[in-house]
Amino acid sequence: MFPLGSVGLSIVERPTPEGEAELVAACIAGDAAAQRALFRREYPRVNATVYRIIGPARDLDDLVQETFIAVFRGLARFRGESRLSTWIDRIAVRVVFEHIRARGRTPVPFVIGEIEDASTVSEAQVHARDGLRRLYAVLGELTPEARTAFALYAIDGRSIAEVAKLVGVSVVTAKLRIWRARRDVMKRAAADPVLAEIVQGRTGRVMTKAEENEAS
Amino acid sequence: MSDRIPVDPPTSDTRRDRVERAVFAQLQTMRMADRLDAVVPAAARPRRAWLFAGMGALAAATVAVIIFAIRPPAETAVAEHTDTTPSRVVTPVGGTSQFTVGDAVIIATSDTNVEVKRGADGGTTLVVARGSVDCDVPPRGNRPPFHVIAGEVSVEVVGTRFTVTRTPAARVDVARGKVRVKAPGGTWLVAAGESWTPQVTALRTEDPAPAPTPMVEPMIEIDQTPAPAPAPAPVPAPVVAAPSPHVAYQAAVRLASTDPAKAAKAYRAIANGKGADAALALMDLASLVEKTDRDGALAACDEYLRRFAHGANVEDVTWLRIDLLRTAGRRDEARAAAVEYLRQFPNGTFAGDAARMRD
Repeated sequence: MFPLGSVGLSIVERPTPEGEAELVAACIAGDAAAQRALFRREYPRVNATVYRIIGPARDLDDLVQETFIAVFRGLARFRGESRLSTWIDRIAVRVVFEHIRARGRTPVPFVIGEIEDASTVSEAQVHARDGLRRLYAVLGELTPEARTAFALYAIDGRSIAEVAKLVGVSVVTAKLRIWRARRDVMKRAAADPVLAEIVQGRTGRVMTKAEENEAS
Repeated sequence: MSDRIPVDPPTSDTRRDRVERAVFAQLQTMRMADRLDAVVPAAARPRRAWLFAGMGALAAATVAVIIFAIRPPAETAVAEHTDTTPSRVVTPVGGTSQFTVGDAVIIATSDTNVEVKRGADGGTTLVVARGSVDCDVPPRGNRPPFHVIAGEVSVEVVGTRFTVTRTPAARVDVARGKVRVKAPGGTWLVAAGESWTPQVTALRTEDPAPAPTPMVEPMIEIDQTPAPAPAPAPVPAPVVAAPSPHVAYQAAVRLASTDPAKAAKAYRAIANGKGADAALALMDLASLVEKTDRDGALAACDEYLRRFAHGANVEDVTWLRIDLLRTAGRRDEARAAAVEYLRQFPNGTFAGDAARMRD
């Protein structure tokens, strides 16, 4: 298996609920330092989620930007009924979903990172990028609904119940969308060894007991 | 090994800083634009938006207007509606601006140039020279009129959600409610599920010029009034074509998150037809009403399995039916259906769940 990226994950310490509430209040009051703190805390996860749905497209930064604009403009309406991160993720998912729907089922230009010296790119990286391109080419042919649900579940690692919450549908509907997408992806992977290498054994997990409990 | 497909995003402080700068610069721009409301002449401004929220929430509807204009607008017939000093909003590439005019909230997206005019009657006209505007406007009813103009196309809000696209040809797709479209050759009332296309405009150029007086309700039902075509011109297509099943299906999907009851009706109507969209509509109908009308959902599943026995989603619908039986407490039927599922789909995507249910 070739790595598809070299980004290390870091643990972001989450504030206590009191701290989060204070942060939100400060942001609403227009405290620029608080707003920047919130941005920096949430950026890595939002960036990752948006990227995993949209893939390596030029629109990534624009969509992340649009998400945060919507977050700050709507923060006064956040009632604390869900975790702030969940509320922000729902906005991010909606922004990306609307973008995909508006754009239609068209493949996007393949862009990854900054322009770099071709001589420094290893064969493994080229292979990984090829796999990524093929994966998102397949996802680009799915409906926006199926693509979003599948990407959140199979790529972003969310539970089915989380996917349902983020896209605003029932667990059964989320599950159907995911598996419908999975079927299309696996069909393509059967005839594409590079794609198969990426998705092999990674899209077939069924609901775990914990997910079932969460769903019920 | 993790179950998820390993796709890790490109991250760098440079990239994050660039987005951060853009976000806060844009927020600053938007705060300035918010103050435009005080600058735009507020002739006969009816009430503040928050008062509407309290008094007219039931009647409020979201109106989304997206205008893509790539050329400066031509002179238009609705210019006479505006008689106060206009204000102009220009957003940079990559930026957006949000502002309010009367009871409307408007977002001008990236690289947009829009002029805001207020009439003596309190009406609002947005003239989009370039880019797009997204408008949130309550249904007009007795409220002052609200127009959006892009080039030679004018859209008047009646109370709906719709999209107008000009890239470069104009197209209007109405998801909910009604809009009134004015273009050279005529004026059309386009209702939910209908589409207005550029070909329509071409077909109508042979028509007499539209009456200069403002139109009143009820407007022309376009699909019932095909334009008379001079011989030997081909028979004109309906000005507003009935949406294809696929377009209707997509509209129903969009409707599902905002108005499930209407979406259910729309799904039902599509399901009465034929083809893949009918099958999908039937399945989505079952999913949509699974919580509110379990019997209806089960009936939709049964109908799907009867009508589309070889459909693309037989396995999904079979499983949905099992899940509905289980949640309805019909354990024996659910177990029997799970056994049948395993017989049909031994390696199916829900095989694990079905096996647990069977055992």
